[in-house]
Amino acid sequence: MPPYLRIDAPKPTRGTLFMRTFLPWQLVRFAWINLKMFRIIAKSH
Amino acid sequence: MARVVILGAGISGHTAAAFARKWLGRGDEVTVVSPSPTYNWIPSNIWVGVGLLPKSSVEFELGPVYRKVGIDFKQARAVALHPEGTGSDGRPAVEIEWTSSGETGPRERVHYDFLVNATGPKLNFAATEGLGPGGNSLSVCTADHAAETARVFLENVARMKKGERRRLVVGVGHGSCTCEGAAFEYVVNLEFELRRHGVRDKAEIVFLTNEFDLGDFGVGGMTLRRGGYLTPGRVFAESLFAERGIEAITRAHVRRVSPDVIEIEQLNGSTSEVAFDMAMLLPPFTGVGLRAFDAQGADITPRVFAPNGFMRVDADYEKKPYKEWRAKDWPRVYQSPAYRNLFAAGIAFAPPHAISEPHATAEGTPISPAPPRTGMPSAMIGRAVARSIVDMIGGAEGPTQPASMAEMGAACVASAGANPFTGTAASITVYPIVPDFERYPEYGRDQRFTFGEIGLAGHWIKILLHHMFLYKARLRPGWALIPE
Repeated sequence: MPPYLRIDAPKPTRGTLFMRTFLPWQLVRFAWINLKMFRIIAKSH
Repeated sequence: MARVVILGAGISGHTAAAFARKWLGRGDEVTVVSPSPTYNWIPSNIWVGVGLLPKSSVEFELGPVYRKVGIDFKQARAVALHPEGTGSDGRPAVEIEWTSSGETGPRERVHYDFLVNATGPKLNFAATEGLGPGGNSLSVCTADHAAETARVFLENVARMKKGERRRLVVGVGHGSCTCEGAAFEYVVNLEFELRRHGVRDKAEIVFLTNEFDLGDFGVGGMTLRRGGYLTPGRVFAESLFAERGIEAITRAHVRRVSPDVIEIEQLNGSTSEVAFDMAMLLPPFTGVGLRAFDAQGADITPRVFAPNGFMRVDADYEKKPYKEWRAKDWPRVYQSPAYRNLFAAGIAFAPPHAISEPHATAEGTPISPAPPRTGMPSAMIGRAVARSIVDMIGGAEGPTQPASMAEMGAACVASAGANPFTGTAASITVYPIVPDFERYPEYGRDQRFTFGEIGLAGHWIKILLHHMFLYKARLRPGWALIPE
């Protein structure tokens, strides 16, 4: 038996998994994440 | 008139060349020396490696692009630096060996006023017996490697469709590897593709890593603000594996890769074997083996390069224990301390030390990640070095543009499944890349700018970045407006 790591991290619920690919919510997240990334880019240049 | 020579046409070298050409006058020359005729957008090799993209989607010919903008391109590898010239000819020069078809072998001496070493890494598969495409495992480090990996992966999928069970191992092939993030990205993409092919139940997927904990990624991990908590990135990485049913072996050094078995050693001193049907294991990196000589022809390589082959720059290379590592140990302008007209950018510069806490077995086998230098910092360093050189040509006393990895952030999008409606990716930002515990005593990073989230939006961003950065690399109209 290979020495696998015992993983007991929390698993996402069905609701969380649904929201990860729920289009209207992801459109909002798309805008938000882009904003976060632009902040990092602006801070780093 | 000045001549800037850039060794390497990867993310850092190509960025440095493009900006140097843009900022210098037409009377000045920019020359790129690279052994490969193509540019490879390496972050998308992951998708080539699972058969989603052909390798032509992540590569293009450099020659026409450089001709268009007036960059001299020599398809050759650099073999020796002569920063003081040779004999009575005091002009600094680099000796190159042509690699273009029909011209392999002839050497030429290329003189320079400023030289940027952006040669990237040597993929050191030889560090582990049996590792690599020439041995018993696969890689996604180059587009060719990734295409071969896709072929083997799809063969395995076909066998699973016939009912066979397969064990697929993904990770790193040595205790001192870097790029754990790329291996992580590949394993979750592979898992997603197995589901898409309808054979997930036939596969046992194992992630094999030298990280002390999952989610370290060679940057000492990160603490993410999510759901009202500041949570270690380890929890998010483990959660993704728990959700996807991916097994993990951490704190591991690969001793040997046989045709169907990987022999590993772990930090606690235990040894074991992991049987596999397919193994994609990334290699450790070293410098490309450039030598340096003074005017009399004496070998001065140890003055210019660190023992691992990467180039010494303005970092603090004094050996000190982990507790005494400081953000200011990291280089700011990437200038050689030995020669003012010599710079290193991207993976080619020698880091002062790792970022993750070092660990070794009782017998002394080091098992901890080397520091990564991913696309964004590599490109930003390339651009900063170009700015400094252009300013020095214009009369500045020294480098003008700092770009320390301890003072810059990084935005990273790690694909976790490529589909425009069901795919996901982890979008991560960290600031700074190298933790600074003097400025941010608790976690080493500014938590306002350190963020992570998994979702479809990340996948859209990944697609956008793929096209945007390839557009930029092709130096099409407006390329300079796209940030690194």
